[in-house]
Amino acid sequence: MHRTESRTERPVGGRDWLSVAFLLGAVLLVYYLVPLLSLFVAQPPGAVLERLTAPEVLAAVRTSLTGALASTALAALFGVPLAYWLARTDGRLTTVVSAVVVLPLVVPPIVGGMVLLTVVGPNTPVGDLAGAAGIPLTRSLAGVVLAQTFVASPFVVITGRAAIEGVDEGLEHASRSLGKGRLATFRRVTLPLAWPGILAGITLTFSRALGEFGATVMLAYYPRTMPVEIWVSFTTLGLDAAFPVAVVLVCVAVATIVVLNDLGRRPLG
Amino acid sequence: MTGALELDGLATAYDGFSFGPLDLRVDEEVLTVLGPSGSGKTTLLSLVAGLVVPDRGSVTLKGRSLVGRPLESRRVGLVFQDGALFPHMTARENVAYAAEADERVADLAATLEIEGVLDRRPAALSGGERRRVALARTLAADPDALLLDEPLTSLDEPVRRRLRTELADLFADLGVPVVHVTHDQRVATALGDRVAVLRDGAIAQVGTPADVLRRPATPFVAEFTGSDNVFEATVVASDGEVETDGDGARLRVGDLTLDVTATAPAGTTVTACLRPSRLRVAAPAAADGGPNAVAGTVTRWANEGDEYRLVVAVNGADLEFVASVRPDRVESLSLSAGADVSLAVPPDHVHLIT
Repeated sequence: MHRTESRTERPVGGRDWLSVAFLLGAVLLVYYLVPLLSLFVAQPPGAVLERLTAPEVLAAVRTSLTGALASTALAALFGVPLAYWLARTDGRLTTVVSAVVVLPLVVPPIVGGMVLLTVVGPNTPVGDLAGAAGIPLTRSLAGVVLAQTFVASPFVVITGRAAIEGVDEGLEHASRSLGKGRLATFRRVTLPLAWPGILAGITLTFSRALGEFGATVMLAYYPRTMPVEIWVSFTTLGLDAAFPVAVVLVCVAVATIVVLNDLGRRPLG
Repeated sequence: MTGALELDGLATAYDGFSFGPLDLRVDEEVLTVLGPSGSGKTTLLSLVAGLVVPDRGSVTLKGRSLVGRPLESRRVGLVFQDGALFPHMTARENVAYAAEADERVADLAATLEIEGVLDRRPAALSGGERRRVALARTLAADPDALLLDEPLTSLDEPVRRRLRTELADLFADLGVPVVHVTHDQRVATALGDRVAVLRDGAIAQVGTPADVLRRPATPFVAEFTGSDNVFEATVVASDGEVETDGDGARLRVGDLTLDVTATAPAGTTVTACLRPSRLRVAAPAAADGGPNAVAGTVTRWANEGDEYRLVVAVNGADLEFVASVRPDRVESLSLSAGADVSLAVPPDHVHLIT
């Protein structure tokens, strides 16, 4: 519908701002796409397939996907309620909480990993307790999930909050005046209307978790995720050995975005 | 136990606006709250519905106190000005949202004549249809009181007239207190058993529509309800000296002297109010007849469809009257700007605010 509006708009002074905007943006698009395409072109398909079937690569794909799914689920479970609270509350506490939420984004991931080690690492009360219970929090899938959740979850909170703020509060009042409580109102009115935005946040969180390296390498060098495997291949065997794994990671990431995007087109509930 | 809605000393203040303290009782009737924007109409509804927390006072419905209760347990139906329909649901799903049974949805759809649009989303409904669906959705929850925020505002005139008649019938059968707010005097008097005029968060007058129109309690109420002739007047004589049957008062309005049947003590200053439709406009030749005959000149006129509104300057006095005249009368008197006319102020239709 915006397209029809722009058609009726007359170019001012012979220059159409819309075309200029696209040309400027196109520079950035080329900068995104060219390196990715060259990655694919530079890799002979045989080499990619060969690396893909290597046991250590398969294990890394499995760890990355399992970890990212688990951390995204955790981020959504705790992050969507936080997004709702932030969207529907005003005051100083809200400001403080929003600042805390962006903290993991401004802290470099490797520092995030170090901070997490001081809480869940070996020789910490939490780490020892979990270890004694048979769930080691470092050098384990749990460590991967903890690192990914820390770094990636703010995306679902921030994007979800904006989406929920976009839902007219009058609709929530209408629902409640019809006798539905806050939870029922959230489930039947707010969530369906905010769903495309919340799903965008979930997609961002998943993509970020899949690519997480800095915090993960501190908390869980083993089991290796794909980014760690790329790093290891690069440092031990050189750049050429790392490229095929990178292609696999890109393919997995693109595939998930396509799937999530398709989910977003369907109405919820 | 009665189903009345009672507000007692209800007060709140925010952003420099103070509301109340306000006392109001609404039985199983239709109360129209009439007031200009910013008078606190929406605040009143919000306080009853639970969207705004009062600083003081109580709200009681069917004997239950509502203050402190969340929206969802008040059983107060609120119809929002824009409908606040859920955009992701069809009209049917909206109405069924709080309905106990499908039959209830079908009944309400029949009553409100929305059967044909039930499968549409709100975005595909007209303004009138949206109000009907919103009302059906609220009634489906069987509220103990019904609140409506400007239910007829910004609708096309034919739609508005039809809906106004239908709402009047619907409310009469509802058996719960109905409060609807409007800034439109015509809606207020056509739709309410009683009218409460609100100004600056306080009630200026409550009464039947006829009462409020004929006997406004304050100059503000007079002007806001369409008594366009509001004058400051001095009572120069009362009772026997006045040329009216029985009691009465002789008023001095500027250079003009008027005799009216309303009474007020001599020597006091009052506000005299007269509705434009009560002024009788005649040809200048008829200027001899009756008391309170005033010679004047038409200075402005406007065609308002079923009536003409004339502004008549009183000859030799710094005074203007507003009169409404039927089109056939305008034609027979050949009225236009600049025409000389004679006005007769009916003594029994001048209301005095003392």
